[in-house]
Amino acid sequence: MIELRQIWKRYGERTVLEPMDLTVRPGEAVALVGPNGAGKSTALRILAGIVHPSGGAVTVDGSVAYLAQRLGVPPTTVVADLARLVAAARGVTTDDARAALDAAGTGDRMHTALRDLSGGQRQRVMLALATLGRVGALLLDEPSISLDVDGAEDVRSGVVAARRRGAAVLFASHHLHDVAMLADRIVLLVEGRIVAQGSLAELAASAGVAFSTALVDPPIERIYRVLVNRSRGLGPARVA
Amino acid sequence: MTTAVLRFELAAARRGRTAVLFAAGFALASIAIAVVGLSAGGAVAVQGFARTSVSLLQLILWVVPLLALLTGAAAGSECYDVEYIAALPVSRPALVFSRWMAWLITLGAALFVGLGSAGVLIGLLAGTADAPRYVALLAIAVLLVGSCLAIGIAIGVQVRDRGRALALAIVIWGLLVVGVDLLAIGLLALLPAGQATWWLSLLLMANPVDTARALGLGLFTGDVLAGPTGAALRAVMGGWGAWFLVCALAAWTALPLAAAVRTLRRRDL
Repeated sequence: MIELRQIWKRYGERTVLEPMDLTVRPGEAVALVGPNGAGKSTALRILAGIVHPSGGAVTVDGSVAYLAQRLGVPPTTVVADLARLVAAARGVTTDDARAALDAAGTGDRMHTALRDLSGGQRQRVMLALATLGRVGALLLDEPSISLDVDGAEDVRSGVVAARRRGAAVLFASHHLHDVAMLADRIVLLVEGRIVAQGSLAELAASAGVAFSTALVDPPIERIYRVLVNRSRGLGPARVA
Repeated sequence: MTTAVLRFELAAARRGRTAVLFAAGFALASIAIAVVGLSAGGAVAVQGFARTSVSLLQLILWVVPLLALLTGAAAGSECYDVEYIAALPVSRPALVFSRWMAWLITLGAALFVGLGSAGVLIGLLAGTADAPRYVALLAIAVLLVGSCLAIGIAIGVQVRDRGRALALAIVIWGLLVVGVDLLAIGLLALLPAGQATWWLSLLLMANPVDTARALGLGLFTGDVLAGPTGAALRAVMGGWGAWFLVCALAAWTALPLAAAVRTLRRRDL
């Protein structure tokens, strides 16, 4: 379970995140979407404990797994060294870490430096290790950025697996098709404020865009544009 | 958990070429000093441990602080690049301490390899007289590495930007190896003899490089070698001077590390 209560963040005179309430239940996946600078990454970084909020309270049940936009470790790091560290931090054995890497199809790259892996392999390694052990909250910041189709599919599989194990998943993404496929709930942030949140169907209704769950390719980009433009021109549009 | 982070940091420190270059550089320099020191007399021979140690001390006091400050500054600024690790249940003090310890072990090992290779050569060709003093010099060099690494890490964590941290580390190095000595000379000229003795003793504690210098020169017992600050230290502190100096180096390690931890705890990564 992830719970944000009136969390806000200011850098100097600039408020990047207005007071925000958000709850993600175990096994639920919530997507943060919005334009650049909307506060998505800041919210995730506060939850991961690497950014101090200016106010408010954060509650996370269980351990936190965080996958940043950037690598977050020196690129010369060898997979086996990282696996040993994460295994110790999560209270599992190195064999468990090796098994997780095997399951992610990267078990044969144990002695390779992260910089020598392809983008997709690197993301699979980082995700497999991040979700080692009993993870209460999985936080992903643009997890499929710069990945090819197969790499993005691997990330989606990792998210689905973490949800099945009961993790609360909160992810930020500009890939709206990923959002449509993975998220139970979508939270739209614009200029540090939540301007809309709900299921895809609820957001479609709010945006006045025809939507059917039978559609293979839901018109999420249109829904997104209508809601962002409305928030900028007409103020917040809240959905149940 | 700290052990796991230390192992990780140690593996990272070992992977770079810094330690290898450091060891090779010190091996070449110390062998050159041992061999070249007596060549002025016409014949090339290997100096004993005592003479080599005195010559090496100057090299150590100039080169070791520079390398340790630069390494520490880079390591400190890179504390902001480990979001993935910081999001694990790893405390920031553990992160800073492990990084310092890993580099201390790595650079300390490089010093042992570098100076040790010259030591083996001297022992074989010039005898083992005064070998314990050579080993003590090595220990002083490691203490100096510890202090300067800690200061470098504090600079890196404070400044954050790697380029600026490295530039500031070079400025601090200049102050430590030259600036404080200039201040000591000024004090000697300005203050009455009795007061100067006290101030010089304090200055020894106020600069880890001078502290290591006094410790190193103390190995060869002689106020002529130790200079005015060494003589002042003996006058003020009697036989306890060496321990005060070791404590001063320990403080120059602990205080910058504590400052780095405090800054990193309060800041966003």
